[in-house]
Amino acid sequence: MVPMKAGIGCLVLRSPLLWNTRFQSLPLSSSPLPSSSFSFIRASSTSQSQPQGRNYRGPKPKKDWVADWVSINDDVVRSLPIYVGGVSLLAVLFNRTISGIAPVADAGSSQSRADLLTLGLAVTNILTGLVWLSIRPKSISKVDPQGVECEIIYSHFPDSVTSELLWAWESLSVVTCCRSLIIIYNSLCILQIGMAAESSSDDGKAAAVDTDKLVQGSLYRAVMKSGAQSYLANLSLYPGRSELPFLPSNTQAVILQPLGDKGIAIIGGDTIRGFTTSDQAWITLVGEKLDATLSKYFDLPLPGH
Amino acid sequence: MLGLSLNPVIPIRSLRSARKSFRVFATDPNQQQVNLSVLRFTFGIPGLDESYLPRWIGYGFGGLLLLNHFLGSNSATTPAQLRSEALGLSLAAFSISLPYLEKFLKGSTLGDQSSLPKSANQVFIMSEDITDTQKEDLAWGTYVLLRNTNAISVLILLGDVLCVRGYWDTPEDASKAQVLDWFKRQIVQIGLSGLKEALYFPQSEDSELWKMLPNGTRSLLIQPILQPSKARYEETKKIEGFVLLASSMNYAYNDKDRSWIEAIANKFRGKNVLINL
Repeated sequence: MVPMKAGIGCLVLRSPLLWNTRFQSLPLSSSPLPSSSFSFIRASSTSQSQPQGRNYRGPKPKKDWVADWVSINDDVVRSLPIYVGGVSLLAVLFNRTISGIAPVADAGSSQSRADLLTLGLAVTNILTGLVWLSIRPKSISKVDPQGVECEIIYSHFPDSVTSELLWAWESLSVVTCCRSLIIIYNSLCILQIGMAAESSSDDGKAAAVDTDKLVQGSLYRAVMKSGAQSYLANLSLYPGRSELPFLPSNTQAVILQPLGDKGIAIIGGDTIRGFTTSDQAWITLVGEKLDATLSKYFDLPLPGH
Repeated sequence: MLGLSLNPVIPIRSLRSARKSFRVFATDPNQQQVNLSVLRFTFGIPGLDESYLPRWIGYGFGGLLLLNHFLGSNSATTPAQLRSEALGLSLAAFSISLPYLEKFLKGSTLGDQSSLPKSANQVFIMSEDITDTQKEDLAWGTYVLLRNTNAISVLILLGDVLCVRGYWDTPEDASKAQVLDWFKRQIVQIGLSGLKEALYFPQSEDSELWKMLPNGTRSLLIQPILQPSKARYEETKKIEGFVLLASSMNYAYNDKDRSWIEAIANKFRGKNVLINL
């Protein structure tokens, strides 16, 4: 096993991030913040107490009953138009029979025209209900990654860079299904955090990232050549999987985000197709920010802007 | 990089597909989570959203029903016809409300048609006397929020530092300092800097808070920036500032958007800037 380049220290966080990820909750509820302690960043903070600032006196949002009810009863609402349309259809036919009118579909009389219009509306409702049922998102369960937790950060960074890297990890792990994050920059593994595969020596430590091998592999080169993000939504289908041995073996999805042309961020998730298009867009932008920060540290000129 | 330059004009692309117009090399053909439809009906006309079809049919058929009632027959209407028409009109009302309900279903990407405000102008103002790093961070943060959400106006307050970007109703001839001053006075008046939890107004409201927002704002999100407490079990958190996002769409920010906005707000945490407005 090739040892990592010299100079990489290990900073251990004191507590795992605690977070309530139930964002299926009501759209207007306030979201709790993670209670973690990043004690090593606070080196230069002052301890003076601050005035609380005036209390908020503005309006509070009204409770949105319809939105809440629909979100909670998603399945019922999806099939509601079908029932409404079906019942109306039967009601129209029933109305015609009990009124003694022959059930003939001609537009001759006023009654028939009214019935036809109502039938048309009923059919629209039924079709809408069917469309809603067919576009119901499939709920895919997440798979807990098998491996060990690790937090390895390049130790020569100033506080500002370290806190930015940790902020990126916190954002990804809290908002998306990300469970592992590895950042390679300038042929150095500067960050390996989250779940990682256990090392082959079976000593309970995380598998080291062989940056030389990764940089020569086809996955890395393809991403660097295209300069664009690569999303492997179902990792088990890709033979390139073998180039990422440091990720837990049952990682479900991976995003490879190039950081300029000097680095790459490898983001492992625990759900197949777990990263939405929204996540991908945000990850691209966060990657640009990290690239700007890291290239300033490594004193490289930013590529053509 | 556009975000790091102090160029106020950000091309705001077609607002409904802003998040989809970036360069992504997808290796999985089934990239979207919601791509399972079998019965998708489409006219094939670009820009026409078929999800609103029940609403148009509801209006159309409802109108025809009324027309039929008043002009359809020469004799008096029978009770049977009245029943039929009543049923038809209630079905029409239900159909009209279907797109509104669809907005709240899981996986829905339905957004209201929105428009850019006509009276507002694009601004990008930041407080003076801040470090270059802070300038870059604020420029990047505001750029990212404007580009990747449905927001058209953003305001970040961090301690004493204010950054305003996007479409705002600021007077044309006011100087930067005057504009910043005006914003700060509004903030103090409403007490926005004392906000402890995120507030989301998905629809426009008539209140004092909205006076400082550009004309035509329909949704508003205010995300406070809180410094986590040092002691593990301490509940009180220090308020460092807030991020304010305004959009001309109703229901502009879904749960995922709000999580990301909170993550971006957390970027400004711990910068040792204390509130002293």
